[in-house]
Amino acid sequence: MDLKMSAVLVVHGGAWAIPDELAKASVDGVKTAACEGFSVLKRGGSSLDAVEAAVRTLEDNTVFNAGHGAALNTDGEVELDAIVMDGRTLACGAVSSVQNIANPVSLARAVMEKTSHVMLTSRGANQFAESIGVPTVPTDKLVTEYERKEWEKQKTYVTGVMEDFNSQWAHDTVGAVAVDSAGNVACATSTGGIRNKMVGRVGDSPIIGSGGYADNFSGAVSCTGHGESILKVTLARLILSHIEQGKSVADASRLSLKHMGDRVRGAGGAIVVSPSGQWAATFTTERMAWAAVEHDVLWYGLDPNEKIQEKLAQ
Amino acid sequence: MLPVVVVHGGAGHIPKERSEKSTEGVCSAVRAGYAVLKRGGSSMDAVVEAVAQLENNPAFNAGCGSVLNMKGEVEMDTIVMDGKTLGSGAVSAVRNIANPVCLARLVMDKTSHTCLTAEGANKFAQSMGVPEVPMESLITEYARMRWRKNLAADAKPVECQMGKMGTVGAVAVDSEGNVACATSTGGMLNKMEGRVGDTPCIGSGGYADNQTGAVSTTGHGEAIMKVTLARLILFHMEQGQSAEAASDLGLAYMKSRVEALGGVVTVDPQGHWAARFSSKQMSWAAAQKDTLHYGLYTGEHFTQSIDEPL
Repeated sequence: MDLKMSAVLVVHGGAWAIPDELAKASVDGVKTAACEGFSVLKRGGSSLDAVEAAVRTLEDNTVFNAGHGAALNTDGEVELDAIVMDGRTLACGAVSSVQNIANPVSLARAVMEKTSHVMLTSRGANQFAESIGVPTVPTDKLVTEYERKEWEKQKTYVTGVMEDFNSQWAHDTVGAVAVDSAGNVACATSTGGIRNKMVGRVGDSPIIGSGGYADNFSGAVSCTGHGESILKVTLARLILSHIEQGKSVADASRLSLKHMGDRVRGAGGAIVVSPSGQWAATFTTERMAWAAVEHDVLWYGLDPNEKIQEKLAQ
Repeated sequence: MLPVVVVHGGAGHIPKERSEKSTEGVCSAVRAGYAVLKRGGSSMDAVVEAVAQLENNPAFNAGCGSVLNMKGEVEMDTIVMDGKTLGSGAVSAVRNIANPVCLARLVMDKTSHTCLTAEGANKFAQSMGVPEVPMESLITEYARMRWRKNLAADAKPVECQMGKMGTVGAVAVDSEGNVACATSTGGMLNKMEGRVGDTPCIGSGGYADNQTGAVSTTGHGEAIMKVTLARLILFHMEQGQSAEAASDLGLAYMKSRVEALGGVVTVDPQGHWAARFSSKQMSWAAAQKDTLHYGLYTGEHFTQSIDEPL
């Protein structure tokens, strides 16, 4: 199958001040996920299949705050958010505050494909998961020792410090965007949210137009960063509106992230792909782990302006 | 710049016997919102007041009078947004409180988050001293009847939804040029438990930005989400379209791209406003310059002095 036309996949593992001790694992993680997702495209899979596969890989990787490795809320429990969107039909599936499942991105896709709804939350989302045979995973299997220690440490801090969410905290949501050889775009985003968030706090990730958006006429976006800020500017939809107005994927991303910084003092990152295969990975945080595959070349980066390439292993 | 508040009581097909109550309800709510503006209150105060009244009014699908989910229970979704700061508060699938719009505002004002769901939202309500009300107090005979009817295997809840009862909402601009929006609903008839529609999703159920305007939407929730209708309308306004033209463009797009109907109320920071819908009907009312405007069917636009009885 000739994929030279347009098939591209981009993933991110979160935009934040990734500490050095997590840097290698984060970069390795996004590279693996990008290759995994691209292999789906190579064997003729859709962009939707590809983004789901890539995000599942990231959810299963405890280095990232999604699925396994998720952050804990203020009650010491895990609540997960995810979204998928199909650019061809604008079909969308999302779950918020779902508990104890390994792959929220797949549950989100099931909402899209098996119900007449777009979004399910909380207990209802869990009931739906049960009804379609999704296995329950105990919290201590999803949460790492590292996360629990950090959570306990934070609990003893003064609340004032906790409220400064505009700081470059752990925002390691994961996500992917892709365009397949048929020109269909898709996006997927998944997260455990902010450590110590209020019970039931929903960030940008599962909210259509904020955590992600996909439209065959303009492109697909997945966002990461300070959730509340992303919501206030509906970041994914904003980026695509710039593309609709003729801006390049890179300029659209830069303008939108700048707007978010100026207007609501929020930092973050976005990955974008256009229906013709243009792509960009942009961020205003200190770092963002990202990787992209195009024409059998693997690109990746972590620090600003970093863009390293490797030939894709055959 | 002319302060204005515009409210809607849902887009769909309102049966004749309920249309009078619907019109009365939106006119009463807009009067309340307008009174807030007149005494110098903010657009946020005005939209919250208007929507709270509609929540208390059992004739609307919000607060008391909410439709029931599949299990016969009430789960409510709401959003508020402040155009000055882009601050926003939303709750989804919240239970047993009388005024979700007030809770949404508390999320905005008292937390560093913008959206709380389900048990978390209820926990927060409790911590704020918001009284819990028995679910029964929110359920009307009409809602129960509709729920029972739609349990039948051959029922078509989505079609029936696009009728009878709708989400409520309001937009306003105050004397300082600040815009705001609020939207509240019991959601879709016989929805799955935990189903969240457009209403509490920023950019879909509503959006407000002092640089452009404010929108509150109603109609087929899933479709509104797919096109992020509120944000879409404001993109058109950013590109120079009027509130009315932008609203029509957004609704037309939703109809052609995802084949669904709905309605919106829209305002710009100068006080130009619109109440537009692609469905058969939308009960709406606006108040500006001491004049009351209202309508229900396509093309209707009645005006009278705000102080006169209907």
